Order: sequence, then C-alpha cells, then structure tokens
Amino acid sequence: MKISRLPKTLVSLALTGLFILPLFWMISASLRQPGLPPPRGIEWIPSPLVLSNYARIFDILPFGRYLLNSAITTAIGVALTLATASLAGFGMSLLGKRARLRLLVLSAALQMIPVTALWLTRFLLLAWIGQTNSRLALVAPAIMGSSPLFILLFYWTFRRVDPAVVESAKLDGASLLQIWWKIALPLARPALMAVGMLSFLFYWNDFISPLLYLRSQTLYTLPVGLLQLQEMDKTNWPLLMAASVVMTLPAVGVFAALQRALLWWDGEEYPEGASHQAFGKNAKKWFLFQIGRTPFRKVRRTSEGR
Amino acid sequence: MNSLARSRRLQPYLFLTPYLMGALLLVVLPAGVSFVIAFTRYSGMGRPVFVGWQNFQWVKSDLLFWVALINSLLYILQAVPLRILGALGLALLYSRPGRATGLYRAAIYLPTVIPDTAYALVWTWILNPFYGPLNPALRTLGLPAPSWLSDSAWALPAIVLASLFQIGEGFVILLAGLRHIPRETYDAARVDGANRWQTFTAITLPLLGPWLVLLSVRDVVLSFQSTFTPAYIMTRGGPYYATHFTPLHIYETAFDGMHFGEAAAVMLMVFIVTIILVVILYNLVEGWGFDED
Repeated sequence: MKISRLPKTLVSLALTGLFILPLFWMISASLRQPGLPPPRGIEWIPSPLVLSNYARIFDILPFGRYLLNSAITTAIGVALTLATASLAGFGMSLLGKRARLRLLVLSAALQMIPVTALWLTRFLLLAWIGQTNSRLALVAPAIMGSSPLFILLFYWTFRRVDPAVVESAKLDGASLLQIWWKIALPLARPALMAVGMLSFLFYWNDFISPLLYLRSQTLYTLPVGLLQLQEMDKTNWPLLMAASVVMTLPAVGVFAALQRALLWWDGEEYPEGASHQAFGKNAKKWFLFQIGRTPFRKVRRTSEGR
Repeated sequence: MNSLARSRRLQPYLFLTPYLMGALLLVVLPAGVSFVIAFTRYSGMGRPVFVGWQNFQWVKSDLLFWVALINSLLYILQAVPLRILGALGLALLYSRPGRATGLYRAAIYLPTVIPDTAYALVWTWILNPFYGPLNPALRTLGLPAPSWLSDSAWALPAIVLASLFQIGEGFVILLAGLRHIPRETYDAARVDGANRWQTFTAITLPLLGPWLVLLSVRDVVLSFQSTFTPAYIMTRGGPYYATHFTPLHIYETAFDGMHFGEAAAVMLMVFIVTIILVVILYNLVEGWGFDED
C-alpha cells in the first residue's frame, strides 16, 4: 500500500487549483480596469490593478441597501430554520418506528421536488394573501425548516442520543421541550453548524424567490442587484465581477468557518480537535452535569479517563 | 396519569407541526392549486375560467415546449453522468483522511458555495471568446476554441461544463456513503488477494449503488430547477433557443406571457414526472434494504 505519495499529491494539487479557478477568475477580473482591450493570452493578474470597481458598484446601484436586505433575510431565514428543523428532527427521533419511517419517506420525497414545479402556484397563493413583495415571501420556506434534508440531519444526530438519558430526564419531570433545549441541542453542535451553513447559503444565494416575488427596489437582495447590474451593461465585466465578489465573499467566509461540520460529518475520522466526537456516548454525562447530579470535575475526570 | 401519557405521546407531533404545516402550505397546497389552474384560463386578474384540456392541447402543439423538453433532456444526458462520475471519483480520492485532505475537500466544495447568480456571471466571463481566460488556454493546448455562449452548438455544452464544478453536494453524500462500508469488508477482500480494481467493482460499487441511484435521480429532478439561473443569466435561453430549458419555458409562459393556465399545465407535467421518478426510486432503493441512514 505504501506507494509513493507524490502522484496523489500532485493530482490533488491540480484538482485543488482547478476547483479554485472560478473564484480566482472572479476576483482577478474584478480588479481589471474597465474599458481595457481584450488581453493577449491568459491574463492571470490584470495590470494595472484597480480597486475602484468596488466603489463604483455602490455608486450606480444601492448595493449597501441590497447587502443589508440580504443580511436581514438570511438572518431571519437561518434562525427560523435552525429552530423548526431541530424541533422537527427531535420530534422525529421520539416517534415509533413505523411513524418515523413514514416521515422519512415523506421527507425524501419532498426533498426531490424542484421549486420550479411549484413556483407559479406558490406565487399565486402569496399574491392572494397579499404577501408577494414582502420579506415573508423570501423566508417562507423556513417554516418547514427550509429543506427536508435539514430535518434529517438533526434527526440522525438526535437518534444517537442515548434513549435512557431522555427517559431519566422525563422521570425527573423535565418536559420534552426542556430536554430538546438542554440536552439534545447542546449535543447537536455539528448538526447546528452544518444546517447553519447550508441554510445560510440557501437564503443568501436565493435568486428565484426575489426574482419572482419582489417589485420594490427597497426590498431587493443581492442576487437581484447582480441581475440589475447585468441589465445595465452586460459587458462591463470588472463591475459585474466586483459585485459578484461582494456577494460571494460572505458565503465563502461562512463556508470557511463552518465547513468542517459538513465535510467531516461523521465525527469519527475528524482529523484534529475531537471537540464534537462521540457526542452520543457522552450524552449521559452531559445530562447528569446539566441537572447538577454530578460535580463537573468528576465528569471531566471520567471522560478523560477513557 | 393517562392524559399525561397521552400528551407525552402526542408531543413529538407537536414538534413536527411547523414542518408538516409548512410542507402542507408550501408543497401540497401549491401542487393542488396547479392541478386546478392547469384546467383554466387565468392571467392573474379576475377569476380563472374552466377550459378543460385546452391548455394541455396548447402545450402539445407549442413548438417551444418541445424545444425546452429536448434541451432539458440533452442537458440531463450530458451533465448528470459526468457530475456523478466526478463526485464519485473525488469521493474515492478523499474518503480516507490523510495529509491536507481537509484542504482538498474544502477546495472541491468551494465552487458549490458561490451563489448561482455570481457563478453564472463568472462563467460568462470565463467563456467569453475575446476577454475570457478559457479560450487562450485551449489555444495553447492546440484545442479548438469555439465562441461558446454565442454559438448555438456550444452554448448548452458550456452550461454543462459550468455545472461540473458545482458537485459539492454529491461529493459529500458519497463521502458519507463510503464511510458506511465497513473496513472489515475491505480487509477480507485483501486477504483473498483482490486487487484494487476488483475491490472497487466487487465491494465499493455494489454497496454504493443505492447512493448513486439516489444521487442520479435527485440530479435529474433538480435539473428542472438548477438549469434556470444559468440559462437566465448566461444566455436567456439563446442563441436560437439552444439553452431554452423547461424551467425557463415555465417562467416565460407564466411571468412574461401571463399565461398561468398553460404554465401550470407544464408545471403539472414536470411535477408528475418527478413523482413517478421518486416512486420508481423508492421501490428500487427499498429492494436494497436502504434504511434509515
């Protein structure tokens, strides 16, 4: 098995470069001076480098407003999603086997339905209750946890919580809501991170909803702003790319901060800092600590002694 | 005590209420409404007028509908196999933790994070025959350098090409799938003297089968959604309707033409195709004993 690592490393580096290219070209083109003739050959880094495109986009369109709108929509969407999805996932983990299976099938089926098979009538329903052209229309999917996948991610996490813990908490008179908040959620950090990241991208990147629903420019989010900019001048690449970078960087930032939860979803092979490994196994200790039965020091010692 | 026990039993459903209500309001109800609207003439104002099968006949005789359908199929035939193969290859490469695997995985996922609108815009730049970096690169390699989005033969493959980089989701799902194959199976195979290729075809591929089918069907179905933004931003369906896909067709029929009835008829067909695919998938996967994970 111990063949030289070199070929694999080279392939990996090439692939990494390839997959970084779209973002690289976006940034590189955003720094190009507008109105220059086409480059000869591949222009990796434009010369001269200018930053003025970034200032320009805020001049010709209210990008600050769009940025704020996107941030508000995304914040509401993510917060609601985390609450509804984790509640639903927790509820699902408490169900009997048959009900759980049925729900699983339902969720898998829901996950498959493309928005475009529903968008017109969703639009009509919102129009009938007078809620197109509002933020509500943009965050509506959060009511159902945004995506069935998010519910399943929480469900898979909560399923690993030792049932005995839940039982003993019940005997102590804790309500299920308390158990969800005090025991289940603290153990679900990876799921919270993964769903947090995915739902951030869901709302931040959403182009179809604002395109369909919004008519007031004061409510526009960044994707619609990008479209506006394109409609104003579709060949002013530096400006378009600068706006794209402004829209992409927050998404990349959130991804960079939370990606480990998604890319190393199954805690076991987590390479470093086993912070959220084996959360199922430690659930009982956590619980005992939470209700104050065991002094914290003892909990720590026993978990270290393993 | 009895009522307490009952409330305990019902409580899980209470937690599930927002989810189920949301699914009802945002999926079941719209689907039901499109069922009704599809049989009416409706332009958003006044009352829908019942017209029977007229919309479906109109759709059937609408050349653009067939163009959209064929384009969508062409896209699916090219993009889905390539995307799945790409995701599989990358997942196999990075399934085991090693030095810098975290970095490589993150790099693979990175294009998926880029917002669709920005992603479509950067590809119009990359593919631009005069300014973009792709054609000079192709020319140095001695390959043909078509004018991509303005050439009706190359516009659709160009959108396929762009889609090949956004495969993070499939990549992560297949990583999870690979993790579910027990190590012992591989060890046993090695003891039996199987080489790498044999291990792959005899163990990895069959055990990964349900995941691959699931992903392919999901990719097919979601292409009715994921082709909208690239087509809308990069080509507006052109040139000469070469990238006029089904979702764009629905959008233009509904929101530009205000023919809600006809659009609902097309939507209903997409919806029914989706349901059929999901049912087939479910039956297939059930046979494999693909359960809660």
